[in-house]
Amino acid sequence: MNARRAVDRHARGLRLALVLLAGLLAACGDSAPPWGLKDISGLMPPLDFTLTEAGGGRRVHGGDFSGKVALLYFGYTHCPDVCPTTLSRLSRAVHALGTRAEQVVILFVSVDPARDTLAQLKGYAAAFGPGVVGLRGDEADIKALTKRYRVSYGYGKPDASGNYEVSHSSAVYVFDRKGRVRLLAGSTDDPDLITHDLQRLLGEDGGPPA
Amino acid sequence: MSRTLLALSALVMVLAAHAGQPEVSVSDARVRWLPGALPMAGYFVITSHVSGPLRLTGATSPAFGGVMMHRSVEEAGIARMVHVGGVDLPPDRPVAFAPGGYHLMLMQPRQDLHTGEEVPVTLRFSDDRTVTVGFRVMGAQDE
Repeated sequence: MNARRAVDRHARGLRLALVLLAGLLAACGDSAPPWGLKDISGLMPPLDFTLTEAGGGRRVHGGDFSGKVALLYFGYTHCPDVCPTTLSRLSRAVHALGTRAEQVVILFVSVDPARDTLAQLKGYAAAFGPGVVGLRGDEADIKALTKRYRVSYGYGKPDASGNYEVSHSSAVYVFDRKGRVRLLAGSTDDPDLITHDLQRLLGEDGGPPA
Repeated sequence: MSRTLLALSALVMVLAAHAGQPEVSVSDARVRWLPGALPMAGYFVITSHVSGPLRLTGATSPAFGGVMMHRSVEEAGIARMVHVGGVDLPPDRPVAFAPGGYHLMLMQPRQDLHTGEEVPVTLRFSDDRTVTVGFRVMGAQDE
């Protein structure tokens, strides 16, 4: 297994190197260098929502995060594998930005408001670092927001003890400091690649110089 | 580097009672800590050295109210968990329970867990053998 993991790491390193090299080559020409993540500029509406922030219990709006780069992800706390794996990778990618990490926010929206109380969501978000904000809305809020970003989710049949699985989109939308959608990350994207793109987004107009 | 060392130090060779050589080996066994009573994922790499077919059929742990085998699948950008009844272990081929794939879902923790401690998990196989392994509790942000 160590060999397999080493191969994975090698492949990811190679991909990052290729992106960096492509960027270097493009810098010599006229075209903008490619992004490591998928460029979805203009394909989604700007960052906008009204939800309750789990940490402080207050209502927050998309505009409250203006000036920061925002990563929007939908999940649920009874999710032991995919959500923690995604959140930990995002968190590591942001942490690697060093002093600029506080200019990035990870917005974790629960699509399971029936089980995700504010207290539970607060603890879950905090487990992945100070840059993760847990957001809760009622069913109507979540329906409207997921429709806005074309995110799907669904509930499985409850078992004898009332537990049920939730299927949910694995997409992570990256918004720039002005709240415009820019990039799409997936659950398997390498943190180094995400850090690379976040650095570039942070260096754009609207924030302090890199 | 330290991860490799950890993985190596966590390598558990399990000796069958009746044979002098290891028949099932489990390495890198870990649980990802989550707060409260939330279900947590267990990861490990398992290799069968039994010459015939062997199937992992389930797991239990005194530290949890229930353990299920799951597999995360992603189709068309939608992630979901699928219940798994058993996993075939081909001879001498490591099978990974890893983030985004096969994992144990450890439910209803019976006590507060702390990063760095070990919790016992007993794996059950198709030939009725059981193997108990210490799973290291890792932080939520670790892999």
